[in-house]
Amino acid sequence: MKKRTTNRREEAPVVEKPVEDTSAKRARWMRIRIGVLATCVVIGAGMVTHRAWELTMVHGPALRAMAEQQQLRDIRLAPKRGTIYDRHGAELAVSVDVESVFANPRLMHARGVDFERTATQLATTLRVDRDVLLTRLRSTYRGRLRYFVWIKRQVSPVEADAVRALDIEGIQMSEEARRFYPNRELAAHMLGFANVDGVGIEGLELSMEDRLRGAVEPVAAVRDRQGRVVFSDQLLDERAAQGDDLYLTIDKTIQHVAERELALGVQTAEARAGSVVVLDPRNGEILAMASYPTFNPNEPGRYPLEARRNRAVTDRLEPGSTIKPFTVSAALAAGVIRPDQVFDVAGNDPNHIIGRLHIGDDVIRDTHPRAEPITASEVLIYSSNIGAALIGTELGRHRLYRSFRRFGFGEPTGIPLPGETGGALRHHTRWYDLDLATISFGQGMSVTTLQLATAMAAIANGGRLMEPHLIGRVVDGHGATVEESLPRVQRQVIPARTARLVADMLTAVTGDSGTGPQAAIDGYLVAGKTGTAQKADHRHGGYTEDLYVASFVGFVPAQDPRLVIAVVIDEPIVNHYGGPVAGPVFRRIGQATLRHLGVPAETGGEALAEIERRLARAERAERAGATAPAEPVAEMIVEREPGEGEVVVPDVSGRTIRAGLMELRRVGLAFHVEGTGLVFAQDPAPGSVVARGTTVRLMLERADMRGDDEPPASVPVPSRTLANVVRP
Amino acid sequence: MKLLDVILRRTPDADAKRRTASTPDADAAPAKAKASPFPSVVGPADAVLYGTVIALIAFGVVMVFSASAVFASQRYDNGYFFLIRQGIFALVALPMIVAIARVDYHRYQRFTYPLLAVVVGLLAFTALGFGHSAGGAARWIAIGPVHIQPAEMAKVALIFWLAYSLSRKREKIRTFSVGFLPHMLGAGLLILLCLKQPDFGSSVMIGMLTFILLFTAGARLGYILGAGMLAAPVVYGLVMWVEYRRLRMTAFLDPFGTRQGAGYQVAESLLSFGSGGLWGVGIGDSRQKLFYLPEAHTDFISAIIGEELGFIGLVVLIIGFLIVFVRGMRTALKAADDYGTYLAVGITMFFGMQAFTNLAVAMGMLPTKGLVLPFISYGGSSLLVNSAALGVLLNVSRPRQAVGAAGVTRREGDGAKSPRVLEAVAQGGTA
Repeated sequence: MKKRTTNRREEAPVVEKPVEDTSAKRARWMRIRIGVLATCVVIGAGMVTHRAWELTMVHGPALRAMAEQQQLRDIRLAPKRGTIYDRHGAELAVSVDVESVFANPRLMHARGVDFERTATQLATTLRVDRDVLLTRLRSTYRGRLRYFVWIKRQVSPVEADAVRALDIEGIQMSEEARRFYPNRELAAHMLGFANVDGVGIEGLELSMEDRLRGAVEPVAAVRDRQGRVVFSDQLLDERAAQGDDLYLTIDKTIQHVAERELALGVQTAEARAGSVVVLDPRNGEILAMASYPTFNPNEPGRYPLEARRNRAVTDRLEPGSTIKPFTVSAALAAGVIRPDQVFDVAGNDPNHIIGRLHIGDDVIRDTHPRAEPITASEVLIYSSNIGAALIGTELGRHRLYRSFRRFGFGEPTGIPLPGETGGALRHHTRWYDLDLATISFGQGMSVTTLQLATAMAAIANGGRLMEPHLIGRVVDGHGATVEESLPRVQRQVIPARTARLVADMLTAVTGDSGTGPQAAIDGYLVAGKTGTAQKADHRHGGYTEDLYVASFVGFVPAQDPRLVIAVVIDEPIVNHYGGPVAGPVFRRIGQATLRHLGVPAETGGEALAEIERRLARAERAERAGATAPAEPVAEMIVEREPGEGEVVVPDVSGRTIRAGLMELRRVGLAFHVEGTGLVFAQDPAPGSVVARGTTVRLMLERADMRGDDEPPASVPVPSRTLANVVRP
Repeated sequence: MKLLDVILRRTPDADAKRRTASTPDADAAPAKAKASPFPSVVGPADAVLYGTVIALIAFGVVMVFSASAVFASQRYDNGYFFLIRQGIFALVALPMIVAIARVDYHRYQRFTYPLLAVVVGLLAFTALGFGHSAGGAARWIAIGPVHIQPAEMAKVALIFWLAYSLSRKREKIRTFSVGFLPHMLGAGLLILLCLKQPDFGSSVMIGMLTFILLFTAGARLGYILGAGMLAAPVVYGLVMWVEYRRLRMTAFLDPFGTRQGAGYQVAESLLSFGSGGLWGVGIGDSRQKLFYLPEAHTDFISAIIGEELGFIGLVVLIIGFLIVFVRGMRTALKAADDYGTYLAVGITMFFGMQAFTNLAVAMGMLPTKGLVLPFISYGGSSLLVNSAALGVLLNVSRPRQAVGAAGVTRREGDGAKSPRVLEAVAQGGTA
């Protein structure tokens, strides 16, 4: 410590510096060494600066491109699905945000969360199967636990809160849009439903998918490393991407009434099913369309396929007598008969039994035989099969066929509902001799309820066939109407005068001696026609003895029609006649709807007196029940063995595709398969006699519509033959 | 400047008096010397150094917030989590700098060995596994909510010890047994303890500081180079035989090739710099901090600075550190004695190596070491240790008048030409 320099300094204090050689040299070297160190660091700083320049400026664009590649992601937004409203803006189908629960098993494992315990807790809270949960949690991808598994999608707010309260690490929620049908069963068949991913599966949800779904264009968004979208200017304009809203022509009130009364009618008659169409004949707007049995579109998986079918457009039924007004209209319009012309309906029975008409080996019968000749009007009132057959024969097969086609039978109406069938009306060149007679009174052809209503609307509307429509307006996210359907006349089917004449004739049906007094409405004159058809027996060919289709189609007020209502009840048991079974349904729907629409009751001496008389009769008739004038049933008349080169179509409903195809091949029929799953329906119907080599369409149940959380076994397979159902 | 003067001195009058009293021909000088055995302070601390470091700390708080906000709101449900903590550290650090800058650095001499002993004890404590572990390394000692890192303190203790010891060795520094070996052994002990934790970065830093101070003090270059050549294979072995270090090395050599694995962090860091361009994407607008770049607010905060403020921002930052470095080296050159010089060199090189090594690592020029960016990165230990070291450096930077008190090693060199005394005289005259 005591250095040489110390002494010197004591002698010569600070300022004066006698430079000591060693010390000066040492200090100089130290400066040099410090300088070397400083230079090294400054060079380092220079290298860092150069590197910074290289990275930011020289390689900058390339590095930025790489960075953006990981930061930006084209995301496909799930835009808000469009809302479906009724004509007055009541919500029928809406999208609501609900929470879904998912798990990150890898994280859970890393944090030591016990899977078994978690599965037990969640199973209790969410009412799901514990073992299924456990399997999902433990499932692996490439040997490692997954990052993401659904626990339960679209849970209720209560369930979501319960899961949050459990506070299990790795169990999280995400918001998803869920389709919600606030009116439950109301208009369920028309609306259809969307699956858990918000994709339309049935009904308008399916057919209008493109409109409702909205734009799914990819948008570049910044995401974080976990893939969560952070922000995007384009994302802010939600309305631009959202789906369009639909305003239906449906009136929620009328729809409700129609469904209620249809259900009541079907249950009262202990029938299997039924459907109703209510439309405005002036413009073709469908005010209500109901089918029974029905389902709740909020949980479609819990209902059998049968309940989800929109029978009003997918079911083909032989119309029976309800077709007669069209036969008469066609004949009158063609001028082959006069309104006052009389027809001998006594028949040609060799044993002189009145009311039997033999055509070849086959017999047409009237249940209310008349010995004396009757007018065309009376043919409708008494619903004479022989009379209709005679009128049809007068008209000829070509003109009858053409006229029916002009009324819209034999082709779909084009309404935007999936699975609409056009019914079956064979071309007249393929009619057998008997067909002209039977088709004249509605057997040997099939129609939908909607076709019946549309055709009747043409008579109500002075002979003009209006295109039926269901969607009034399509409105985009900004509230602008992008599509509006206006009334469209398809064609003048019959002259207005003829239409007027037939309408007058039809008012008598609900009258005194008519077959449908039960359809008469207090204060209004009702025009309409009853129908009672035997159902084709698909198993044995021909027609069944005990299965019927009861129907009524008519319009009101008869003088200035505002409503056309078609009611079809399938397989009523208690009573199978159109008047007592379908008539009351027509009346009650009509009554409520007229009141709802504020249609003034008809007044004035003659009309009023007539109405009162009818009401009294109607009450009597209803009280009397079975004693009411019974409509003749078109009985099974075609009992024909397959001829040369012909085969009977076998019934393959409910079978697997493979079994069905083998059966068809065995008898020599070609086939065309649509859909997946078991055979659901077929066309031509089982029991039909067709030429060998004819193509049989097999409609299969759609197995792909099942929801996520229902095991396949829970979807019931239709156990009975639904051969009269056609799903395209 | 005036504010700083106020902070640094008790009153201008007192200073004026002291300066007057310290003039060369003052009779009172011996009396003063008796009162204080050290060279008497005749001027304020380096204001440029002072201002630059405070600016760096303030900038650091801002950048820590920018880099951590998203991470913090995700992890702690509070985007301000790291801002608040770093803000508190800064508020503690600033008065601490002021306080330490007023303590004459010679007073630390007698605490040299106790401090070294404490540090060795703490290091041994952690090295033996009693410490608080994180990420596979037991580097911390938890005292309540505060986690202190003995390795950080070890570096400062090492600087104090070497400065003290080397200044006493004087000419004997050139000898092997007195000048070289003891220091290498002491440093070697610290390095071993750090390696045990394991903390390779601190070991390297301690080794570097040791060589630098030995070199500054004039140890034989041959010894230093020889020791370096002996150490090289050991370092190589330590790197290549330890799995994670080898991974870091391969990641450094080819960050994009190992992007899915070890190279991930470096690759993301390079992407951040590249995204910045000349002016950056704007403060707060970094996308890489959206969990792409790990440790964005600590070791890799410079990448976020590069992304948000671009090349310009980086240059300003580098210039900031260069100012600190140059002023620190200037302090070393002007220090009143060897002890001060060594302290200043050690501390300044400590700052400089941390800063530029960190930047080099973030830019992929050096393998990942786990070094923070001094005064900028988030972290209380680092900020407080660096601030304490800065306080010492600032004190060294104060102009002093050498007093020939016994037992004090002084270095004069060409003191007569030194401007510091003349400056003091001039100031004294005007006051």
